[in-house]
Amino acid sequence: MQVTAMHFKRKAAENLSNEKLQRALEKLQTKFVNGRAAAIAELPNFDQIRNAAADVRERVINNLDRYLLRFEQEATARGAVVHWAETADDVNRIVADIAVLHGVQRIVKSKSMVSEECGLNDYLESQGLNVLETDLGEYILQLAHEPPSHIVAPVVHKTKEDIADLFVDKHHRPRTTQIAELCREAREVLRPGFLAADMGISGGNFIIAETGSVLIITNEGNGRLSTTLPRVHVAVTGIEKVVPTLEDVTTLLRLLPRSATGQSITNYVSVLTGVKGRDDADGAEHFHIILLDNGRSRLLGTELQPMLRCIRCGACMNHCPVYQNIGGHAYGWVYPGPMGSVLTPSFVGLENALDLPNASTFCGQCAVVCPVKIPLPDLMRHLRNRQVERHLRPWQERAALRVWSWMAQHPALYALSTRVAARLLRLFAGGKKRLSHLPGASGWTEERDMPAPAGRTFRDLYRVGRRA
Amino acid sequence: MKVGLFVTCLVDLMRPSIGFAALRLLEAAGCEVVVPPTQTCCGQPGYNSGDRIAAKTLAKKVLKEFDGCDYIVVPSGSCGGMIRVHYPALFADEPALHETVQRVAERTYELTDFLVNVAKLESVPGRYSGPLTYHDSCSGLRELHVQAQPRALLAKLPGVKLAEMCESSTCCGFGGTFSVKFGDISARMADNKCVHIARTGAGAIVAGDLGCLLNIEGRLRRRGDLQTRVLHIAEVLAGEDGVCK
Amino acid sequence: MSARENILARIGKARGPAAAVDVDDVIRRHPRGPIPPLEKNLARLFGEQATRLASDVVSAATIAEVPDLVARYLGERRLTMQTVCWPGLATLDWRAAGIEAQARAARGEDMVGITGAFAGIAETGTLMLLSGPQTPATVSLLPETHIAVVENARIVATMEDAWDRLRAEYGTPPRAVNFISGPSRTADVEQTVTLGAHGPYRVLIIVVGDARANPA
Repeated sequence: MQVTAMHFKRKAAENLSNEKLQRALEKLQTKFVNGRAAAIAELPNFDQIRNAAADVRERVINNLDRYLLRFEQEATARGAVVHWAETADDVNRIVADIAVLHGVQRIVKSKSMVSEECGLNDYLESQGLNVLETDLGEYILQLAHEPPSHIVAPVVHKTKEDIADLFVDKHHRPRTTQIAELCREAREVLRPGFLAADMGISGGNFIIAETGSVLIITNEGNGRLSTTLPRVHVAVTGIEKVVPTLEDVTTLLRLLPRSATGQSITNYVSVLTGVKGRDDADGAEHFHIILLDNGRSRLLGTELQPMLRCIRCGACMNHCPVYQNIGGHAYGWVYPGPMGSVLTPSFVGLENALDLPNASTFCGQCAVVCPVKIPLPDLMRHLRNRQVERHLRPWQERAALRVWSWMAQHPALYALSTRVAARLLRLFAGGKKRLSHLPGASGWTEERDMPAPAGRTFRDLYRVGRRA
Repeated sequence: MKVGLFVTCLVDLMRPSIGFAALRLLEAAGCEVVVPPTQTCCGQPGYNSGDRIAAKTLAKKVLKEFDGCDYIVVPSGSCGGMIRVHYPALFADEPALHETVQRVAERTYELTDFLVNVAKLESVPGRYSGPLTYHDSCSGLRELHVQAQPRALLAKLPGVKLAEMCESSTCCGFGGTFSVKFGDISARMADNKCVHIARTGAGAIVAGDLGCLLNIEGRLRRRGDLQTRVLHIAEVLAGEDGVCK
Repeated sequence: MSARENILARIGKARGPAAAVDVDDVIRRHPRGPIPPLEKNLARLFGEQATRLASDVVSAATIAEVPDLVARYLGERRLTMQTVCWPGLATLDWRAAGIEAQARAARGEDMVGITGAFAGIAETGTLMLLSGPQTPATVSLLPETHIAVVENARIVATMEDAWDRLRAEYGTPPRAVNFISGPSRTADVEQTVTLGAHGPYRVLIIVVGDARANPA
């Protein structure tokens, strides 16, 4: 997917004044934040489960190659073909080759963020293949030619009127804004696609080393349909998604839906192992599993390694006050919110997403809700460190910091400067006791006053024996 | 016990009354308070901006100035958290300093946490009366577990009526340099906070961090609210001049 | 060097001196994680959780009662009596209840699908279905109404218990293990949960047999 993270500030500003988006984001916040809280409250030993979940992910990441090899061994023994892809382009090429190999024309897709990373749909269409997104949100995005704005609720930014307009345009049926009718319409329009498809492409929420299985979760049933009906199934996922055993994946499943939407379990959990047996009633005859790196392995052994624990629940963005106010599109790539602020610069280059790790107050709520205890603010701070080390910050910023730091090391000079500043600012504020303009700080004063200082510094007053 | 007061650069420059209020409270708790005169900044601006070198230089200065106190008390969850939680991480690559850093970090407390859990202050000198609402500053809450302590202390003021706001623990949008670098997002977050404050009908908003208070007050006044008072918890508890109904 | 070799090499190099794990040992032992405390009455818990997730749940003392229960359910909702079912259920007396039950995989136009279940999971009110020659997956997926018959004795507490049963009875998982927790749904339109997306609009679970038969 094309990177537009360098336009973060402009898009954030646009989204702040987008009334419709603001109302949609409010709804998302209420549903997902309250939903998670209620769902977590049902687990008396939630902290214990969370520690265990973080452990599972950490153990795997520390032994990623061993578990991936075991997965490959088991999956292959059951008749699947395991492909390894270093880059997004590799994934696209492999999928296209598979399509050619099996004489595929029509493809149905269930949700896969990794496929968004790769821009898979666009590539396949450029190769003359017909690709139909079947997750309702992703289908809507496909019609609208837009990227997702949230990893779990991809069209949170659209109203039912928007969707009604899209459907009228593409389906040529009478317009309706009734939500149930819109869903029924999508079902009827997409059903023939499932039945006619030669190939189903899915993601993989997890892959299980013990059994060589791919695990997919959905609520709609499109994941099952895409991976049961067509004769070819291609699953694309990141190398970090491997989990050792069925028990381990069960621990993670206790937390993923609760953290994401507040559900105790997603409607459908499918564990897919190997190909259709000779006597099987249904299932794919050919099962291809593509493991994508795309920069993940380069995070290993670095301070950013904990990011690989991520199970893509979306809790961080649901609880992030910055995301709650600007939405997902401002982040300019596949992954928004706090996890996006770490993944995007890591995968597409630090210099292409300079604002992302900086657009945080480090309030810490993301780290509080992460089911696998990723220290997201610390990771964003590491990225800020790297920006400074690589001289990617504006010189004014570095200069201001250096000046501040230098002054703060020289107490006498510091005392004098602050004494003067306090008095001057008090003077400029006048009778109102607040300033509506501050040189060099228009970011503050654009929409806020700055309360005037008292006029004398604490150090000054304390020194002369004043108590208050 | 010898308590070193770290007033913070913001308090020093913008609102010394908070520093004096903290002093008054610590003395009421029976502490011998020292105020190291060369203190300036804890290093957080550099730390959060990615300039570890600048942060370390200032942190080493703090270590030197405050090592030797039995406790270090800070009227700020943000600076308190910097010293207590982040100094150990900041100096993880300098084993020679581990002992000193550990010692200073362990002895550092946010003001209300210290008053409730260490000094066990029984009564407070303040005389505030009227409805007020409380904002949980992020670092205090999530790094130092400051939440019950200010409320326990406010409960000691018979005239105070605490009206909790919705989302009292949602970030106000200050975030240090974030408030200037991403001013529009920051202002919106502050605005959301102002809306929640207004809904409580309280006459004052109270918090434990001056950064939050300046941010909230700045947005309140620009919104046209010149009534709602904006107070640091220390000021309310200490009953400094002018801070009672 | 192939992509596979490159990726594995990068991973191996990054791992450094951390202790190597015995993958075989971990997998052989497959220890469980922490499990939330659950009530002992699994059938009751199962019914409660399944109902929460919008399944309809009824009990039958014996399997012979199933056709009448199905007929009543379909009749109450004015749904068709033409169904498809898993071959294992074909021998029930459907005709007497006025139901036509064809034992085959479902097609796009089938409206009612009747299946059994490998197990029920009480913790979340979930059905566990295994694919196989006698258990076509389409029967629980394509029709608008899914009816599942599950033995009380096969309701287990947790998914961990279900995996143990699977290992005991099958060794390795079949091509597909499908966990089903209610009718299909979506909340993509304005975060409003709507039942009936691509899968069934409604799910009826018939729990057959005595509670005492469940070893819990």
